[in-house]
Amino acid sequence: MKLENVAVLGVGQVRFGVHRAKSALELARDAGLLALADAGLDLRGVGEAFVGYIQPAPMVGIKAMKELGLTGLPVTHVENASATGLVAFREAAHAVASGRAPVALALGFDKMSEMARGGQGGRGIGRDSIDSVILPAAYFALWAMRRMHERGTKPEHFAKIAAKNWNHGALCPVADRQADHRVTPEEVLASAKIAEPLTAMMACPADDGAACAILATPEWVRKLHPGRPLVRVLASALQTETYTPGHTFVGPVVGPSTMSRDTANEAYRDAGLGPEDVDLALCHDAFANEELEYYELLGFCPEGEGEKLLEAGETALGGRIPFNTDGGLIARGHPGGPTGLAMVHEVVHQLRGEAGDRQVEGARTALAHLVGGGSVCTVNLFEGVS
Amino acid sequence: MTESPPRRRVPIEPGFFTIPDDPAEPPRLLGSRCRACGEHFFPRREVCARCLARGCDDVLLGPRGALHTWTWVHVPFFGRKSADGGAGYGVGQVDLPEGPRIQAVLSGAQRDFAIGMPMALELETVRETPEGDAVVIHRFRPSV
Repeated sequence: MKLENVAVLGVGQVRFGVHRAKSALELARDAGLLALADAGLDLRGVGEAFVGYIQPAPMVGIKAMKELGLTGLPVTHVENASATGLVAFREAAHAVASGRAPVALALGFDKMSEMARGGQGGRGIGRDSIDSVILPAAYFALWAMRRMHERGTKPEHFAKIAAKNWNHGALCPVADRQADHRVTPEEVLASAKIAEPLTAMMACPADDGAACAILATPEWVRKLHPGRPLVRVLASALQTETYTPGHTFVGPVVGPSTMSRDTANEAYRDAGLGPEDVDLALCHDAFANEELEYYELLGFCPEGEGEKLLEAGETALGGRIPFNTDGGLIARGHPGGPTGLAMVHEVVHQLRGEAGDRQVEGARTALAHLVGGGSVCTVNLFEGVS
Repeated sequence: MTESPPRRRVPIEPGFFTIPDDPAEPPRLLGSRCRACGEHFFPRREVCARCLARGCDDVLLGPRGALHTWTWVHVPFFGRKSADGGAGYGVGQVDLPEGPRIQAVLSGAQRDFAIGMPMALELETVRETPEGDAVVIHRFRPSV
């Protein structure tokens, strides 16, 4: 459905990275307070909250919300693997669109660094199960190897994408990885190998972090912030896989690529837009080869021409359709639950014209895409109105 | 001198593959075939994912297929400290003639693999239980 009546009132993000000194709840509180301050509210002004986190402990979302206050508001936990933050955002957008809550909050947080170390026993990690024996990196590498076989793609293409995102991240104050030098594709290729053809610098870090977005009706946002460009939410599509012969059921990390194409088409249809209208895009670049695929699947170039788009520099800052302007999962980081809300944070800064050195000139329309667990995809479209 | 009894082989997780009594015999995958439309699935399921009919027959799938794609993993296997002593291991997707695409660990060296090559199913010991049983998982190897 087209979202007619939803805009972003405020955003907040804790810089992603390894936060040993802070608990997940403290990170969540900090992101929530930043978003409330940006919105010009305290929790009494929020009608409903959706909290996204991947870590398996029950009720953690409700506990995180208590750090912001106890006002009796309805709180719901959302979990859709890597897509969690954008799916919590989608629920908040629909709560506002339906009139159920004039102001709704989406909060995401996680401590992936602890899950990666096994401290919190992330689902399937380190356990004996048929699903857990193969690392996520391997699944994405399988996709990369198949593309190299079919299209003649080179590891240098993936390295160029990764270097671009590292260099975008260096311009983003809330990115985890802020390199002190210009990262080159050669440096990316020379980093430690993870799974052929992927290297460590082509992969996202296991981060800690939190991010928050507060949504409201455009009237309410204008009333509270009359001088500020309005960021409207035009569409928020969510799909799961559709069955095709040969579907892989065990270890679903990548999922069928058609899922991203179908979900993007739904979002474009809902918003009454096409890829030619989009000024910047954020996508699930947990591994660099994914971004190349999404150039095509999100409609920014014909199938098989992703390499051309990349080689022409069109997906870097200054190009026709800059991808992952805040560094993406590779450099901004990927803590899990908050990742999608960090995307909203970046989109809002870009569409308000507040993105500093990484500002996309004249940005009006932005797209945010995530996949989760190879089984879900969400595509969201935003428009800035001055 | 007494011979030690053969180790019992137990699956890493039940319900996915057979463990033949004769170690020379290849394992099979535990799959399903839809009674209504004939589509095959791995692992077993009750509702057909293609036509949504209820009721699938249990079938054995494999043990042969073709390599759709593969990679060589340089970082540790889950639950192990090193990737087979630091050399790494293969992971691939194998298309079975019945239809399903199976993701699994591969046995063999990095230079052994090529997309499209024939593959055969086997069992690999992942670790030993405290009782001395061998915990096994299915994997594919290039078949000649």
